[in-house]
This record gives sequence, C-alpha cells and structure tokens, in this order.
Amino acid sequence: MERAVPHAVPLGQMEVFQALQRLHMTVFSQSVSPCGKFLAAGNNYGQIVIFSLSAALSSEAKEESKKPVVTFQAHDGPVYSMVSTDRQLVSAGDGEVKAWLWAEILKKGSKELWRRQPPYRTSLEVPEINALLLVPKENSLILAGGDCQLHTMDLETGAFTRALRGHTDYIHCLALRERSPEVLSGGEDGAVRLWDLRTAKEVQTIEVYKHEECSRPHNGRWIGCLATDSDWMVCGGGPALTLWHLRSSTPTTIFPMRAPQKHVTFYQDLILSAGQGPCVNQWQLSGELKAQVPSSSPGLLSLSLNQQPAAPECKVLTAAGNSCRVDVFTNLGYRAFSLSF
Amino acid sequence: MSSESSKKRKPKVIRSDGAPAEGKRNRSDTEQEGKYYSEEAEVDLRDPGRDYELYKYTCQELQRLMAEIQDLKSRGGKDMAVEIEERRIQSCVHFMTLKKLNRLAHIRLKKGRDQTHEAKQKVDAYHLQLQNLLYEVMHLQKEITKCLEFKSKHEEIDLVSLEEFYKEAPPDISKAEVTMGDPHQQTLARLDWELEQRKRLAEKYRESLSNKEKILKEIEVKKEYLSSLQPRLNSIMQASLPVQEYLFMPFDQAHKQYETARHLPPPLYVLFVQATAYGQACDKTLSVSIEGSVDEAKALFKPPEDSQDDESDSDAEEEQTTKRRRPTLGVQLDDKRKEMLKRHPLSVMLDLKCKDDSVLHLTFCYLMNLNIMTVKAKVTTATELITPISASDLLSPDSVLSCLYPGDHGKKTPNPANQYQFDKVGILTLRDYVLDLGHPYLWVQKLGGLHFPKEQPQYTVIADHSLSASHMETTMKLLKTRVQSRLALHKQFASLEHGIVPVTSDCQYLFPAKVVSRLVKWVTIAYEDYMELHFTKDIVEAGLAEDTNLYYMALIERGTAKLQAAVVLNPGYSSIPPVFQLCLNWKGEKTNNNDDNIRAMESEVNVCYKELCGARPGHQLLTNQLQRLCVLLDVYLETESHDDSVEGPKEFPQEKMCLRLFRGPSRMKPFKYNHPQGFFSHR
Repeated sequence: MERAVPHAVPLGQMEVFQALQRLHMTVFSQSVSPCGKFLAAGNNYGQIVIFSLSAALSSEAKEESKKPVVTFQAHDGPVYSMVSTDRQLVSAGDGEVKAWLWAEILKKGSKELWRRQPPYRTSLEVPEINALLLVPKENSLILAGGDCQLHTMDLETGAFTRALRGHTDYIHCLALRERSPEVLSGGEDGAVRLWDLRTAKEVQTIEVYKHEECSRPHNGRWIGCLATDSDWMVCGGGPALTLWHLRSSTPTTIFPMRAPQKHVTFYQDLILSAGQGPCVNQWQLSGELKAQVPSSSPGLLSLSLNQQPAAPECKVLTAAGNSCRVDVFTNLGYRAFSLSF
Repeated sequence: MSSESSKKRKPKVIRSDGAPAEGKRNRSDTEQEGKYYSEEAEVDLRDPGRDYELYKYTCQELQRLMAEIQDLKSRGGKDMAVEIEERRIQSCVHFMTLKKLNRLAHIRLKKGRDQTHEAKQKVDAYHLQLQNLLYEVMHLQKEITKCLEFKSKHEEIDLVSLEEFYKEAPPDISKAEVTMGDPHQQTLARLDWELEQRKRLAEKYRESLSNKEKILKEIEVKKEYLSSLQPRLNSIMQASLPVQEYLFMPFDQAHKQYETARHLPPPLYVLFVQATAYGQACDKTLSVSIEGSVDEAKALFKPPEDSQDDESDSDAEEEQTTKRRRPTLGVQLDDKRKEMLKRHPLSVMLDLKCKDDSVLHLTFCYLMNLNIMTVKAKVTTATELITPISASDLLSPDSVLSCLYPGDHGKKTPNPANQYQFDKVGILTLRDYVLDLGHPYLWVQKLGGLHFPKEQPQYTVIADHSLSASHMETTMKLLKTRVQSRLALHKQFASLEHGIVPVTSDCQYLFPAKVVSRLVKWVTIAYEDYMELHFTKDIVEAGLAEDTNLYYMALIERGTAKLQAAVVLNPGYSSIPPVFQLCLNWKGEKTNNNDDNIRAMESEVNVCYKELCGARPGHQLLTNQLQRLCVLLDVYLETESHDDSVEGPKEFPQEKMCLRLFRGPSRMKPFKYNHPQGFFSHR
C-alpha cells in the first residue's frame, strides 16, 4: 500500500536544504516574556524565534499563528539556555551571554543589548554555557557550563563577581534555593553541589551515583536536571530520577523511569519531568506516575510553565526537544497543538 | 269652427266677426305692396313681451268665460243661451288670438334659428379661411427652413484656408478686390481655385500611372534576367563541391540540412535553429543533425484532390470487402491509438560531447496529433563500461534525464488538451508508451518553444523561438552536468560495491588518516522497501522521498557494531545532496528516535554537506559522505563511556584525539574533525 506523500511541490536545492535543516533541528531552551504573551525558543543553529502565545491560543488562531512572529540569528553556536528578567531576554550559547530587550525584540532586526564573556581559564576551546540562573535578590545572573565553574555576573554593572569552583566535569544545570540563598548545580561528574552565595563556598555535596538505589551505571553518572523546593530537591539524568531531602542528603523517593530525564520541575503538588522518550511525565510526590502525556518530539529537552500573572489566559506548559516543534499543553492531560519553527 | 280654420290660412283673411279682442291685433301691411299678408314682417314689429302679456290675458279671459259658461249652464234657463252664445263667440275669438300668438311664436323661433344658422355659417367660413391661411403659413415656413438648411455640395469640399487661398491662387481667380467684400463671390472664387487644383493633380496622377507601368515592365525584364542566372550559379556550386571538401568547409552539407529543416514541424524547427545557433555561438561540443525521411514528411501534406481520389478508391475497395470480416473493435481501437501517437517522420539529433569523451545522444521527436515533443537519451562512453549492479539505473535511457529540473519526471503529457484526446481512444496515461516514444519532459517542450500555461489553457499552442532561446543554455549545461555526475557515480559505485570508499586525494584532508570502520555492503533498494523501513519515517513525512529518487542501502561495520545507512539519491545529484538515515545495531538498536548522537551523525552528513562537496562539480559528495560516516562511527564507538559495572576492557579503545568527550545538554560526542591538527571537537 502506498503511503501518501504530503505535498507535490517539486523540491529544488534550497527547499531540500531547508527541509533537512528542520529535520535535524533541536530546540534547547525556552523563555516566556514578562508580559506572558510571547514565548522565545532557541535552537541548535543559534537562532532565537518568538512565538505569540496569545495569538496561537486565541479562538481565531490559524496555521500562521503557530509560526514564529520573529526569527533572528542570535549566536554562532546553539542557544543552550535562556532566562527572562522583567525587561530583558538573556540567552547563552557558545561561550557568550547576550541580552535582548523584550520590547525591541518584536520589531525585526533588533540588536543585542549587551554581550559578555565570563573569564575562562582555557583558551583552546570555547566552553559552552549550559545553564543560566537569575538571583532576583542580588540582581545578578549565574552562568555555568563547559568550564566547570559557576560565574556570577552583576546585571547592573555587567561585571563578573565570583567564580565558584568545585565541579570536576562540566555543569549541566542550576537551581536556586530562595531562602538561604543557595545555588545548586548538577554536572557531568555525577555530583550535586550546593553553594552559599554570600560566602561563595561549597556547603554540601551529594554524589548521586554513589547511592545504590538510584545509580544506573549503564547510563552514566551525569546529572542532567535539577529542581528544588526549599528543603527538597529532585534530580535526574544518568541515575534515576530521585527526590532528595537536602538537610539529611538522603534519597526519599525514586521515580521508576528508565529513560534518562533532561528536565524536571516542581508544579503545584506534582513533579513534571521530561527526557528521552516522547512524553511528559507527571509524578506524585510519593513516586507514582500520575500521567504520561505524549508529545510530538521523540525526545524532550526543555519544559516551560507560563505562570506570568499578567497573562492568565496564556497559562500553558510548553515542551521542546529533538524536533523543530514546541508542544503546547493547555491542560496537563493532553497536547493541544504544536508551534513550529 | 270654420272661422277658426279660415284663420289658419296665411293668405289674407277677411275677418268676419270682429271680436273685442280685435283691437289688440294689428293687421298692418308690410312695406311690400303685395296683396299677401306677411306674418314674418309682423313679428318684427311686435314686442315679444307684450305678446306674452297678451297670451296670459287671453288665457285668463278664456278661463273666465269658461267659468261663466259653466255657471250659466249649471243654472239652466233659456235666456241663458244668448249669453252663452256670446261668451262662446268671445272664447272663439280668444282661441283665434291664441292661435295667432302660437304662429307668431313659431315664426319667431324659426327666425331665431335662421339667424343662428346664418351666423354659424359665417363663422365656419371664417374658420375655414383661418385654417387655410395657417396651413399656408406652415407650408411657407417649411419651405423657408428647407431653404435655409440647404447644404450645397460645395460646402462638403474641404477648401483650403483663406490665407492660403489668397496666397496661392493666381489673381485672375482670386480677384481679391471683389471677393474680399462679398462672401458669395469669395466662395465662388475658392471653388474655382479648387477645380483648378484638382485638374492639375489629375494630370499628375495620369503621368505617374504611366511611369509606374514603365517601371513594372523594366522590373519584369530584370527578373527574367536573374532567374536565368540561378541555374548557372547552381552549376558553379556543384563544381565547387570537391573544393569545399578539400578545405573542410561543409557549406553544402549545412545547406542540405537547412533544406531538410524546412520540412520539420514548427517545434522541431525551433529546436533545430536554436540548437544550431547555440552550438555555433557558445558551445563547440554540441552537434545537431536531422534524421528521418523527408519524403514521408512531404507526403504528409498531400494536396486535397489526390486524397479524395484515394478515398473513392478505398470506398470501392471497402464495398468489395464487406463480405470479409471487419477488424475487431479492439484492433480498431489499437489503430486509433497508434494514429494518435504517431510521430513526425523527421527527428532532430543532438550530440553533447563531454570532457572525458563520453557523448550524450538525444533524439527529439514530435508527436503530431498531441502537439508535444519527446526525447530519447543514450550515453556512450569512450571506453566500454562494466555496469555494477547497483548502478543499473544511473545511466539507463529511461531515467538518466529524469528530474533534470525539479519535479520534471517526464511521465505525464505536459499538454492538458491531450487528456481529452486520450479519453477518446482509451489511453490512460502516456507513461505506458514512454519507452517507445521517449519522454515528454517539460524542458523538451520549452526547447521546442512550446509553452502550455496552466492558468489559461490556449486553444492552439505555437512554437516560440524566444522561449527556446531563453532555456537553451541552462538546459545544455544541466544536461552536461547530469551526464558527468552520473558517470562519476557509476565509477564510484563500482568501487563501493567492492567495499572501498573512493576518496580522491584532494578530499583526504577532510578525514583523519586512520579510519577503522569499513563499508561492507552497497546495494540498491526499491522505493517501496525504503518506505517500509522503520527508521526512515521522518524523511518520508518531510516529503523528501519520492518515486523519482534512487534508493540505496550501505552497511558499515566495525567489530560487533553494524551501522545501516539508507540513502536517498535525488536525480539532481550533486546539487541536491543525498540524504542519509542511520540505524546502529550495537548493544541494542539505536536510531535518531532514541539516541541523540545518531541524530547528530545524520546531521553531520545531511546538513553539513557543503564542506563535503569537494572540487567544483561536487561529484565527490556521496563518497565523502560515506567516508565521513565511517569516521563518525569510529568516534561514536570509541567515545562511548565505559560502563563500570560490566567487566572487561572496552571493545573499542579510544584512539582519536578529543578535547572533550561530552558537551551540552544533549551530551554530544565530538564529531567534528579539525584539520590539520587532527583532533575532534564539537560543532
């Protein structure tokens, strides 16, 4: 039985190349605008696109509403991480961090507001920046990535204030513990380290792979994702997805997920995680899998919850990963539609 | 009463008894001294009002008398009779008065009527006169307007303007003193002048006519002279033929070809002219010739009388053969189909010579009833080629020119009108006849100047030289590139089937010196089989896998690891890159669905293909991509992190120099090779 080919337009060289690019696109990062109506997404070709969530979610949404409003080339390498302050979009990729004004982005051809490069030790290869974290109390930005250090940058002056060393292999993810304030970082070396921002010292180390209940040697020991909720922390990656009690450094719940998880977050009384495998998993704190919602990408790398108070109608979960599509979940139970590059 | 009746008579009546009422009555004579009594005249003299009073009085009297008689009679008695008699007489007199009055009234009435009648008659007469006069007035007015509107013919003549007239006309015609003042004279003068001029011009015209006659006669004479020259020139040309051959200037041959070209149908003619022009101007490797039978071409246009004779003959024959079986319906349909698909007896041959002495032979035919052109292709090489099994489709006449322009597969007729013709004879599609007739590619139609626009189907499509000229250069270049890339692939496939990836020396820098993974198998697979593979679904969904593409399967092995690569080769290779989809069997099955690094490997060969193109025509692309796949497999296997729980050494020790083994959230392996330092890094 012949499978129907989706379109009959003859493909020239340009169209074939663009189709191949879209097939091999990976979306690494997402960020919601301060007004809550727009979603920025960054891919492995260094492009950042802006989608209009309000247009795509409105009742008159057409196919064009699911396409980007603006596309621009932000970095030379992949855009691994993005965060939004109340006025700026900060993006990081190959060794540099750049910022863009949200108000200017929507006009095409905008230029970056500033760009910085943290002081790196090695010059042979430019290390990538895998994670960005905003510390609102200090108005600073923490960067972490390929050079195994956490750099703190003051957002007002742009100066790099601290460099926290301790990881022996590159850092994947960061999380902020509001109360203390402390920063947690998880890396390729399999350890989750807690840093106190005032003293700039490492206060606690959890080597996840050394705990037999959660370690999975065949996957490796790398920690791909971190999330923290005051006393609790959930982390996953090579080892199984585990919920830890931070004070006692003990694993309390192990979530039975075989595939390595790349992104995890606390949401209300659930834990949402996504990784290899085409679905978003919802877990109860007790370790039960509440739901597994299929998505359109074969693997997911980034989840984003739009909880901006200014746009309650755009309160959605968006998931992106190994495809050119960003799935939008209006209700955590099913995928509503997909935005696409 | 007798006295009463005598009173009725108009003529004079002698009254016998005079009644008291007599006093009132005047019996006057009229002016006429006639003896008769004219009551008409009397009427004029009496006053109608007094007559009316009299009438009233008389009636009253009568009433009184009657009342008295009644009285007396009712009383009775003899002496009454006299009084009754008296009264009776009185009433008789009154009766007479009444009668007179009545007559007078009648007469008055009649008079009045007569007068009215007369007056009416007069009025009528005046009225009639008035009408007559009005009519005459109208008539006169009409006549006046007619006169005023009268356009004399002289006004239609465009006369020269006044100034010109006065300037040009000789004084005896223009008579300025007279005509200036008097417009009538002026017009007359102008008309005179006009007449003069016209006469002169008529003279001139007659002269020119006679001149023309003379000149025509001279032309005739000269023509005859020239035509007598033609046979003499022909004989000179014949004599010069051996000289031409000696000097390698085949003018005669070209001339003969042009002669034959005159019998070509318009699209083939356009193609012939444009191709010859292009060949002479830009490309010496192109040679054009015409094949086929000129006589048959001439026979296509037989004059009608001959064909009618034939028809009558064939009718006679048919009548004789009615007893024999008629051909069956199927055979009739078959004949109709053959008729519809008939080719013009002449065809144009183009030979394109490429650098390595291989030649592409193209034969263009014209299907007369369908108004489209088709082409058959053949590639001949300088040395005999041994075709490897996987390369059978590369140079086959059926597919070597497929999709020269994207989407131009040549299986359907480009002329939308043909569909109706096909329906009549039961042809489904031209695809079934393509092997025999050649492919009706769109570029072939364009080279013949035929354009079939989709939006406004034209009734008749005629061959257009400018369309052909604008497409000639690009198409020729594409054809050459196509042949060369196919030949290059042909050679490469021969080597690939033996497990050797032929990398040319100028592309060696793209790869490290030591490549351990080996290509063990290279085969073609069918389109349906490609669609059934489980790891090619993305390509199919993206619309990159069509039935005009060629599909291959390569197998690369190292140790226990086996990498399957499904290749889509677009006919437009090498400007359109081949697309690879991978499936690795090593410690489980890994495809782009479950392993990000396999996805990255595919991206390295599919998206980053431009750096693998090699030297200018880019024919090395496929082999470079395969070699890169081998290198990528090496890197993948060697950088796989060691599982501490499993005993024993790693199957593939790391030999490649890498700065970092993993990078980024997806933990990519270092697939990028850096030359000349020779280490691997991440993109």
